[in-house]
Formats: sequence, structure tokens, C-alpha cells
Amino acid sequence: MRRWLSILLALLIFAAVVIPVVSAEEKTKLVMSIHTDFNREGLDDYIALYERLHPEIEIIKEVTPFEDYLKKIQIDAVSGRVSDIYHVYSLWGVELVRSGILDRPPAEIQEDVRKNYVPVAVNGATVDGQIWGIPTEIDNYCLVYNKRLLKEGGFSEPPKTWDELVDMAKKLTKFDSKGNIRQYGFTFLAGWDSAVVHPFLAMLWSNGGEYLSPDFKKALFNSPEGVQALEAQLRLFREKGTDVNGSVWDFPNGNIAMMIMAPWDENNLKTTMEDRYADVGVAPIPVMKKPATALYTWFAGVGRASRHTKEAWDFLKWMTAQVYGPNQTTRMGDYLVQSVGAMPSRKIDLENHPKELNDQYTACFVRELKNSVAEPNVAQGAEIKTILMNEIMSAWYGKKDAKSALDSAAAQINTILARYYK
Amino acid sequence: MAGEVRPVNRYGKPMAVGSVVLAVVAATMVLPFIWLALSALKTRAELVAVPPVWAPAVPQWRNFKAAVSEVPLGRYYLNSFIVAGAISISVMITSAMAGFALSKYAFRGRDIVFQGILATMMLPSFLFTIPVYYMMRHVPFAGGNNWLGYGGMGLLRSRLSMILPFAVSAWGIFLSRQFIMGIPDSILDAARIDGASESRILWSIIVPAARPALITVGIYTFISQWNNLFWPLVVATSAPELATLTVGLKMLETSFDPNRNAHLILAGLTLGIMPVMAVFASLQKYYVRGITMSGVKE
Amino acid sequence: MRSRTRAAWLFLLPALVFYAVFLIFPVVSSLYLSFHEWNMLTPPLQASSVGMQNYTHILRQDPVFLKALWNTLVFVAVSVPLSIALAVLMATLMSRRRFAGLWRLIFLLPTITPAIALGMVWRYLYRPNYGLINTLLNAAGIASQPWLNDPATALMSIIITAVWAGIGSNLIVVDAGMRDIPEEYYEAAAIDGAHGWQRFRHITLPLLKPTLLFVFVTGTIAAWQVFDFIVAMTAPTLGRAGGPVNSTMTLVVYMYQTAFEYLNMGRASAMAYVLFFIVIAVSLVQLRVFWRGGVENY
Repeated sequence: MRRWLSILLALLIFAAVVIPVVSAEEKTKLVMSIHTDFNREGLDDYIALYERLHPEIEIIKEVTPFEDYLKKIQIDAVSGRVSDIYHVYSLWGVELVRSGILDRPPAEIQEDVRKNYVPVAVNGATVDGQIWGIPTEIDNYCLVYNKRLLKEGGFSEPPKTWDELVDMAKKLTKFDSKGNIRQYGFTFLAGWDSAVVHPFLAMLWSNGGEYLSPDFKKALFNSPEGVQALEAQLRLFREKGTDVNGSVWDFPNGNIAMMIMAPWDENNLKTTMEDRYADVGVAPIPVMKKPATALYTWFAGVGRASRHTKEAWDFLKWMTAQVYGPNQTTRMGDYLVQSVGAMPSRKIDLENHPKELNDQYTACFVRELKNSVAEPNVAQGAEIKTILMNEIMSAWYGKKDAKSALDSAAAQINTILARYYK
Repeated sequence: MAGEVRPVNRYGKPMAVGSVVLAVVAATMVLPFIWLALSALKTRAELVAVPPVWAPAVPQWRNFKAAVSEVPLGRYYLNSFIVAGAISISVMITSAMAGFALSKYAFRGRDIVFQGILATMMLPSFLFTIPVYYMMRHVPFAGGNNWLGYGGMGLLRSRLSMILPFAVSAWGIFLSRQFIMGIPDSILDAARIDGASESRILWSIIVPAARPALITVGIYTFISQWNNLFWPLVVATSAPELATLTVGLKMLETSFDPNRNAHLILAGLTLGIMPVMAVFASLQKYYVRGITMSGVKE
Repeated sequence: MRSRTRAAWLFLLPALVFYAVFLIFPVVSSLYLSFHEWNMLTPPLQASSVGMQNYTHILRQDPVFLKALWNTLVFVAVSVPLSIALAVLMATLMSRRRFAGLWRLIFLLPTITPAIALGMVWRYLYRPNYGLINTLLNAAGIASQPWLNDPATALMSIIITAVWAGIGSNLIVVDAGMRDIPEEYYEAAAIDGAHGWQRFRHITLPLLKPTLLFVFVTGTIAAWQVFDFIVAMTAPTLGRAGGPVNSTMTLVVYMYQTAFEYLNMGRASAMAYVLFFIVIAVSLVQLRVFWRGGVENY
């Protein structure tokens, strides 16, 4: 027994200690942190190509699900694990900059970003007046609808105003004998903070309201315009145009007539709907007072603790800024429109991808860029949005009315803002 | 358990309603697993069919292949095995030593030490999480650290960070102490007269005699560590290569888009729990003994 | 004799070193942290002191913490007694049947499977529109329930799963406790003409008291720290663990988020201490109440 145990123990200690040891380093390794939805087909080809062009460089992807991504970046900093390249959601920029996680880009890159990217994306990569990375994808929201279901319900056109939408959703919702909804007129995007908050912001702005004061000292979304916007959402629940069990991810099953969706869902819809993809229609979000939609951006930056910042910026430059080929586009632009399904933010990419950006799905999102308002980069952005999400959802569930939900969210958010903006 | 003689009719004649209740509750115990195994073989469309289908029309065996090709289940298994195995062995050894010391020696402070060890079972584990995490990062000379413990990740990139915080178990010490108390002192005294050292007594007399208890401690520890999520999750967030099976199963949800790939998630879950379930079920005897020994024989 | 004392301390040494490093030191550091604001990115001794502010904030100004406290309380108060009651019922029903080993194995299946996997499977069973549970309800003529999707029913749904999963381990302890009750008592009761329920009430229940106390206290300590089920059942579809609208937020889940998502280590430590005091207080009350009742009944 004793000998047995000691042999097994020795083996296990050996395994525990030795197996993680990595082989001797020869190449310069660049660790690139991205989230799952950014890890699409084609990225590996670019990486392989770069490694062929620069044999001394090896690029290692670290892919984390979106839900865990901010947490992972922060815990990495806490644990001392260094990523050389980060692809981050603009809203996290303030926290990442304050935690000292990001490296300042070289002057030429800042110059290039200022000159060649659309202003909303430049703002997204800017924290406290300083540019912290190279903008990549832009996302906004449109109304995505199922043409076949609309036609079956006797509608030839998507709704233009929110009142029309509520009315149509009501008529397009079907129940079974038990009273369960079997076909949804409309379903809300839900599942993470932005999913709930962004469409609300779109309606708030469409209704002439404001999210936060420009100096970030105060939440303004609980104004009468905001309450009206949330009220408009609640009407869908009250008038049985939707319920809390509906999920936008059922859209491919053909039992959801309308939803508010972002450009990145294009590939999902294509692969899961196959020949029924022709049913997919996209229109601007129905207006309340004026056309408006919410927009957010991502940017690529370099880790401040990286030991290879120059190599990392070089790779990013090659990937995002170098215009190449007969179409005069960037590799990032190609990758975004072809594989990710998002909109690029470099002006030349927006101009030179006519085929992908004018297709059945994306065209509407590109047209709506002119009506898009960017979500501001505020400190504790994720925490603030979680609070707002919870309060909006408690109104959906009928636990609070629109005004008290938004008032409660504003009160909690104001105490957070007071800590950071004095 | 064949041939087990059950005392008959403690409460009079068994009632039919009792059988029905027992059968129904037992059925709910098994049903989720049967549903899982069947659903792992369904297509995406069958999982969202209305009305739902019980069994796949054509079993989709390729779900398993697709799941394994995306998720390194093999590595999760290996990590779990190494971590749970090392913890169990360490717990067995330290339990035997401490259990022996606390039962067969009389010395000042013994009872305080024993009660102190028992009291640790009341502490919520979150009380240690943050400091232990910080300590693991700043172990000197480990993982790129200098002698002050700065500069690298310390043990956070090593399985030791998952193993060490569980290397000793109060429950294991308690259980082996109770068992060793039952070993007659006369054997120990005889060995001492023969000139055996104290450590020789431990390894050649106590450990073999306490074998059933120690095996129980080992297997029970192994299973509970295998199922442990919290600490491995904290560590693996910045060291995904160390992810154990529980962490890996949690990541199934996020590495596959759950809305499109429920069938792959369920296939991954099936592969992640069914084989182990068979092994653990065959070790039932030890597991049951582990639970009962601690509960009843006080 | 002195050499023997030395040997005893030597055998205890690994355990003592472990407890000093992984328990006493972290517990003391956590106390220090709970009075400071610290994000783990700077050396802890440079953290700025905030006095009692972490405690006053969570207890007075943090609606989510109070919600988590309440939810955890509900979880403990409902799931622990329910699971034990069902275990006693099942053990009683099993005790006069053949194939006790097989029954036991069936009830053990959830116990030996990682809670994270069980939670994930149940999340699919609970799906409002396609889930097995609503399908069965509809077949029985009952309308579909939103289960995890509605703040009104989400916590209850998780409690159901936790009770389901917890029956097995309680059952084993209770079953062993019942076996230890001598058969003669029942024979004597039969001669006295006591019927089944009376025998259970006046023989089984009183003699099972120490066993029940054990499962009650250990079950409660574990339930305070519920984490796996919440993460498995609410994180992927409802925004983040604890949803919808914090209706399933529990203390450990909130501590985990405060520490590792908002990097607010001081506040998380304060929460851990609040939990610690609750666990200790409740355990002591349980022990007191139970023992007093126990003595009177014997």
C-alpha cells in the first residue's frame, strides 16, 4: 500500500508540475485575446499568412466567450497573465484604461485612426481624449422580420412606427389551446446587458430622450421621453404581442415574425435557415418621433504589460490598416464583412465592400448608420448597464411600472457616477 | 447487493401506495439522464420541435464527433483526473498521519487541535478564496516570479494551484481518527517492544489496518473533487489550459452557441458525465461508506 | 514518552502547516481586506482603508446584496428540510423492500454527477416552449409555466432541482441511521399493537435524531454556499448568473461577481464575513434547538 501510494503520488506530482511546462521559446509569441464571436472562419488564414511573412512571429489566439470576456481580461491582469493583443468592446475601454491594461498606440497609429475611420468608431476607441486602439467592427440595430409570416398575416410592409409594430405584433401572435404562444409577433433580444439596453436606448433616442448627461454626472433616461419609450415596450407585453418566454434565437424556426437585431446575426440566420433565408427582411427600427438606432464599436489594442508591444502593433497595422488587393480594402475589413458579418469602421472598407454591405441583410444597417447614436464610454459601463437591464426587465415582468423602474435604475446609476465624476 | 437480508415489515405490511411513490420518485431520478442521452442524439430541429419528440428519428452519432472536435474533452478529463487524484492521495496520506497522531498519542493540546480542525468545516470557502488566489500568484520563484514573488503568474499556471488548497481535509482526518481509535493499542505496544520506530508503526501497522477507512476517504475525496467547480473556475479563468471537466462542461454553453447548437452541448454533456457516472456507480460501496461513516458513527 | 509526543507533532505537521497557510492566514487577511478598498492589482498593504464602509454599504445601500441574502435564506430554509424530509420518506419506503442496493444506486446518480451538469440538463428540461416539464404538464392538462424565465418562479425552480439532487446523499445517511436501530424495538412495538405510523413516530424518528441533526447541520452549511446550480441554470440565457432580475442571486454568486467581475475585493471579503457569521450563528442555533429537543424526547 505504502509503496503503491508513493509511486502514484510521485507520478501525480510529476504530472502536475511537469506537464504545463512549455517548450523552450524560440519565436516571439504574440498572445491575442478575442471573444468567441470574433473567432470565425478565415481568421486563422490571416494569422498563418502573417506567420509565413514573419517567420520569427507566432500568434496564439485565446478565445473566450463574450459573457466571460471582460472578466477574463481583468482576472488576467490580476493573475499576471499577459495578452499582447486585445480585441475589446469600446464600453469597457474606460475600465481597461484605468486598470492600466492597455498600451498607448504609437503616434502614427493614432494619426491614422483619426484620419481614416468614421467618427463614431474613433470616439469608441477614445478614453479621456486619448486614442487607445484601432477601431474594428461597428454594430447597430434594425428590425429583422420574417416576410412569409408577415404576408400570412396580411401585411406586405414592415411597420414604420412603433404603434404599427405593436398592432402588427398583436395580430401576428398565435396561441395554442393551452394559451401558450406558438407564434410570436415580436420578441425582445435578451440574455446580456447590451441586448436589453441597446434597443431601449434606440427607442429612447427615437423618442427624443437622452441617456446620460454629457459630463456623465447624471442619468437622464428616466425623463418623460424615457418612460414613454419603456411604456411602448410594455404595451407589447400587455397586448400579447410577446411574452417573457419568447427568444430571438427561435427566429430561424420560423415562429417569430419580428425582432430587433444586430448585423452579426447574419451568419447564424444563413446557416440555420438555409433556403428559408430568403424570408428574412430587414427594415429600420420603427420610429417613435424620429429615426434613431443605437450603435456600439469594438477596437483592437495592445497590452501594456506585453513584452512585444512593437511586434503587436506591427501585426495590428498589417491586419487593420494596410490597404491591399484589387478592391483596395483592409484584411480586417474583409474579415469583418465576410466572416464576422459586422460592419467595418475604416472609411475605405465601408466604400469598397459594395457586394457584402449591400446584401439582403446588411444593407439596412449600413443605411441606418446615419441615424445611429453611439453608446457613450462611461466608467463602470458594464455595471451601469447591468443595473439598467435588470430594471427594464423587472418592468417587462410586470414587477414595476415603467417610471419606477427607470427611476430606480437612475438612482443606483447616479451613485456609481458620483464616485467617478466629481 | 444481492443476498442482503432486509428486516421485514418494520412498519407492518408494505402498502401499494408506498411502492408507487417510491417508483415515481425513483423515475424522476433517472428521467433527466435518459432525456439527456436521447437528446444528445437528436438533430437541432428535433430539440425545438412542437410537439416535442422523445427519441431521435435517426440517432445523430456525429453529434459526439462534432462536440469532441470543438471542445478538448480529453484534456478536461486529464486535468480533472490529475487534480482530483493528487488531492485524494494527499488527503489519504495526511489523514492517516494526523488521524494517527490525534487518536493514539496523548499530548497537551491534542483536543484543541482536533476541535480546531473540526471547526474549520464550518467556514465558508469564500473566506479563503481571495487571499489564496493572491498567494498563489506570488509564490517566489514559481511561474516567472522573482524571490519576492513578483513578476510572473506564480502557481496560477500550474495544477498545484488547484491541488494545494485542498491537500488536507478535516473530514478525512476526522474519519481516519475515528477508525484508527478502534485499532487495539496492544498491537502498537508489541511493535514498540520489537523496536519499531513511530513512523514504521504508522506505515506498517496503522495504514494497512486502516485501509478500508483510507480507501473510503480517497474515493469520497476523489468524487467530490471531481465535481468541484468554484475554485477550478476561478483559477481556469486566466489559465484555460488547466480547466477541469466541470469548468469545461460549464464552458460548453458558451463555446457552442446554445441557440444553434443545443444538440452539441447535450452531446458534450453526455460524454462528460455518463462514463464517469458508470465508474462512480461501481464505486458506490465506498462512497456510501464515506457518507455514512461520517454521519452516524460519532 | 517525549519522543512519542514529538512523533505525534511530526505526524500532525503537514496538516498544521496546511491550516496555517491555507486557512488561518487567509481568514485573517480577509478580515483585513474587508476594511479596505482593494482591486488586487496593487500590493494589498497599500490598499486604502475605508473603515466599516464596506459593511455599511452592503448592509444598508446595496439592494442586490440584500436580495441575495434573502434569496439564499429562502434557498436554505426550503431546500434543506425538503430534501431531508424526502430522504426520510424514501429511506422508510425502501427499508422494507428488496433490491435496496439498486434503489440506493438510483438515488445516488445525481449525487455523484457534477452539479453544474445537472443544472445544465435541468435548464433544458425547464425550457418554457420546448421543455420536457412543460410538455408533461400540458399532457396532464396544465398550462405551461415560465420556470426559470420569470423572477416569480426562477428561485423555486432552482430549489426543485437542488432538492432533487440532494435527496441521494441524505438518503444514504438516513438509511444507515435507520439500519442501526435495533429490530427488537419494532418487534416489541408490534406486540404492543402499535401501527406503522406510530412505530415510525415513536421509534424511528427519536432514534434517528442524531443522524437528522448531522444531515441538517452539514446540509445547511453547504446550502448557504450554493453556487453551481445558479451558475448552471441562469448564467447562459438570462444575462448573468443570478437572473432574471437578480431573482436567483445568492450570496456566493454575488461575492464571486463582486470579486472577479468588479474587482472589488474588499467588499467581497466583507460579504464573506457576513456570510461566515450567519453560518456560525445558524449552526449553533440548530445544534442547541436540536439537542434540547433530543434530550426531552429520549
